[in-house]
Amino acid sequence: ADYTLVISSWAPPTHSINARMWPTFTEMVEEATDGRVTTELKLGLAPPPAQMDLVMDGAADLSIIFHGYQAGRFVTTKMIELPGYVGSSEAASVAYWRAYDAYLKDANEHRGVKVVALHTHGGAQLMSAEQVTELSQAEGMKVRIPGGVAADVGQALGMIGIKVPATKVYETLASKAADGVVMPIDSRVGFKLTEVAQNMYMLPGGLYRGSFAFIMNEDAFADLPEDIQQVLEDEVFGEPISRAIGAIWEAGDAEAIEATLATPGNAIIDASPEDVARFDEVATGVRAKVIEEVAATGVDAQAAYEMIKAEMAAFE
Amino acid sequence: MTVALIGFALVLALVLMRMPIVFAMGLVGTIGYAYERGGSILDERGLKAAMSMVGRQITDTAQDYGLSVIPLFILMGLFVNKGGLARELYAVSHVFLGHMRGGLAMATVAACGGFSAICGSSLATAATMSKVAMPEMRRYGYADRLSTASIAAGGTLGILIPPSVILVIYGLLTETSIGKLFIAGIVPGALGILFYLLAVRWVVFRDPAAGPAAARTPWPQRLRALRSIWAVLLLFVLVIGGLYGVFDVPPLNLTFSPTEAAGMGATGAFLIALARGGLTLKSTFEVLKESAVTATSLFAVLIGAQIFSNFVNMAGLPEALLGLVTAFDVAPLTVMLMILLVYVILGCVFESLSMLLLTVPIFFPLVVSLGYDPVWFGIVVVVVTEISLITPPVGLNVFVLRGVLSDVSTGTIFRGVTPFWIADLFRLALIVAIPALVLFLPGQMGP
Amino acid sequence: METLIRVAKVASRAPVALACLALFVLMGMTFADVIGRSAFDAPIEAATELTRILMAVMVFSCLPVISARGGHIAVDLFDGFFDRWHLNRLREAAIHIACGVMLAWPAQRVWVLAGRARDYGDVTEYLSIPVFYVTAFIAVSVAVTAAVMVAVGLVHLVAPYLLDEDIAA
Ligand code: NA
Ligand code: NA
Repeated sequence: ADYTLVISSWAPPTHSINARMWPTFTEMVEEATDGRVTTELKLGLAPPPAQMDLVMDGAADLSIIFHGYQAGRFVTTKMIELPGYVGSSEAASVAYWRAYDAYLKDANEHRGVKVVALHTHGGAQLMSAEQVTELSQAEGMKVRIPGGVAADVGQALGMIGIKVPATKVYETLASKAADGVVMPIDSRVGFKLTEVAQNMYMLPGGLYRGSFAFIMNEDAFADLPEDIQQVLEDEVFGEPISRAIGAIWEAGDAEAIEATLATPGNAIIDASPEDVARFDEVATGVRAKVIEEVAATGVDAQAAYEMIKAEMAAFE
Repeated sequence: MTVALIGFALVLALVLMRMPIVFAMGLVGTIGYAYERGGSILDERGLKAAMSMVGRQITDTAQDYGLSVIPLFILMGLFVNKGGLARELYAVSHVFLGHMRGGLAMATVAACGGFSAICGSSLATAATMSKVAMPEMRRYGYADRLSTASIAAGGTLGILIPPSVILVIYGLLTETSIGKLFIAGIVPGALGILFYLLAVRWVVFRDPAAGPAAARTPWPQRLRALRSIWAVLLLFVLVIGGLYGVFDVPPLNLTFSPTEAAGMGATGAFLIALARGGLTLKSTFEVLKESAVTATSLFAVLIGAQIFSNFVNMAGLPEALLGLVTAFDVAPLTVMLMILLVYVILGCVFESLSMLLLTVPIFFPLVVSLGYDPVWFGIVVVVVTEISLITPPVGLNVFVLRGVLSDVSTGTIFRGVTPFWIADLFRLALIVAIPALVLFLPGQMGP
Repeated sequence: METLIRVAKVASRAPVALACLALFVLMGMTFADVIGRSAFDAPIEAATELTRILMAVMVFSCLPVISARGGHIAVDLFDGFFDRWHLNRLREAAIHIACGVMLAWPAQRVWVLAGRARDYGDVTEYLSIPVFYVTAFIAVSVAVTAAVMVAVGLVHLVAPYLLDEDIAA
């Protein structure tokens, strides 16, 4: 290959980010450029919140960022984190990119780097050792839940938030320092939650979604010949890669559900229609608050919300 | 690969010039990273990239939540000292073992093992026990070479039996679970005690005059002494129990994670020392100061190691080493034995931490891609670094003793340590041959 | 000159005291968090982010002080050799000055990162403490460390007798 782009990634080697997403990205890039551009994956260069600085200054050419790790810097990305979007991660990721393109990019929160993809994992669910069958049980539960939108939802449900990094979730649950955890479904496999949080309480669309971006160093992109830039923009960057990565998140959820059903002592409890309705009330309150917060950055948050909702409903 | 090896040689040269490790590794790592990103060490974009990486390492390493255990475990060990727990441990070992030939040296080993369970550092273990055990052994006419060697060797257990600062650092460098590493150290640590006891038996078998028997203590007195070590047991159970999550029983309902165990242990040790009148405002301040200073120097070398490790990673050394091994079709065990040989040789001149920092970024990816377990390798690395602490010419534990006891020559201590050193090699061979000795307990814990 | 060193010694007490305080609070907070959560269902939600900040305060309060006192971990294998050739003073001076000078770049870079954290509005998750404060503190600490190391190196060179009585004991 004429050009090798160095990818920095903070996830563990076996995580689907490194095992599937970056390989998929690389395949798409190689195919679009007839092999003139390839990539090299470097793990563990820096913790997640450092990645944007690393890419901005060219310590790596590409990286993945999780917006929730940088509170304050990213506000408009909360739009995809909202509870109540029902549909696949693929649908959500495509809708997310379109809403970004139409509205959210005006806030210019990724300034200094080139946004290559935006995607989201499936709706996060409440998982615990003790079985939860009704939404009201969440009240007073000690639950590991991230900040941002997730924390708002947890608070609205009366949960007691336990704050530990994702890598400490297993030990925190095993030592009973928390009763449960709200995490994306696919982490049941990666974090071995089938052993310490055997029960999963399913709400359609989940309690929140997580927002991710693939970002690229601006000089590294500018260094590529114009024809390559063009073909990357047309065939890989933006919606195509966002869609492909969303599909990988969805496949991970499906595998985790299968693994859960296959593990003795594990159970998936679907929320009752009454609880779904009650949760929607909670979600409405959180949405109103977040939309107001996002609107304060100057973007049309309400329109972005309607757009994501409509795009996901229309997704086939 | 060539670039990385040149970098390694440069670090070595700078370190031997007595440049602090953080600066040697940081400087070479920065320049090397700039070279890898910019194609030349003077390339402006490469330098900016490298500086950004360095800047983030400086700010992020010191704010790593998991690393909060480092200052807190150091703090726990120092508070434990003020509480007089080391003396009690030795007293108990004494009444149980002292009447045998070589019994006081055996008691020293046992007490070192016990103290290691509440102290994360080998140097601290050796320094503490030398003050407690040495006068007793002298009183009973023990040969200096046996008494000092039993302390120097017993002290090395400090970094294998949990808690262990070295295991925390290995866990950070390799993203291996610290809880699992701690649990994995228990069996090899117990084996270490056993083998050292055998080494003492061997010494007094060869030369009975080296360790005469002390008076036998009647059983009632033994049981009374046993009661005094509740504080040590309490702290050990608090920390290790925290790793397994065993306190969630009514009426206690106490639940905390391994990361929090360090804070709980430190608070426990603080309260015990306070209750026993071992602390004044001034001595509390001294303990805090010593912990903060020690932890800061550890954080500094960690930052340097991470910078260097990023350069090695960017230069593709792990892949190149693996390619070499694959090309020559060397068996994994042969590679492992070569690595261990490198460690034993490096152990002659380096102390535990420098050795770990220099080698883990290079060997770890190779070892894992050959199919070895990261937890197992962590324990193996700690065992070889333990050996380095008593390997001449530079054996830090020996120097610690030399510092405390000005009338014993370094040569005497090193000569006395030889049987213990051989016992260590046996132990190393055993855990290389039977990985289950290391991996069984952590295997019960989950991922 | 002696006065200057005496002033430096006194000045070094404040950061050390701050580090001790940070460590003690860290210990107490972990304990309070565990007990609060276990016994009263009332954890300290911001415990994790406060832990991070307290660690940074501890480490970067101590850094200039231990750098001035030669407290960094080093390998002293060839000290005897340097002694024999009377090169120790020169070596100490060279290394202190070199280390201090080379620290100037990271200090600048961390300052840039601090400015970036402020411009992008980075805050902690629960308490919304601006990340900028912590990063700027670190930048200042690294800069002070750089200056202190150069100064100690110069003292080694021009007035080593001042160091005989242990500069920062
Ligand atoms: Na220990
Ligand atoms: Na050695």
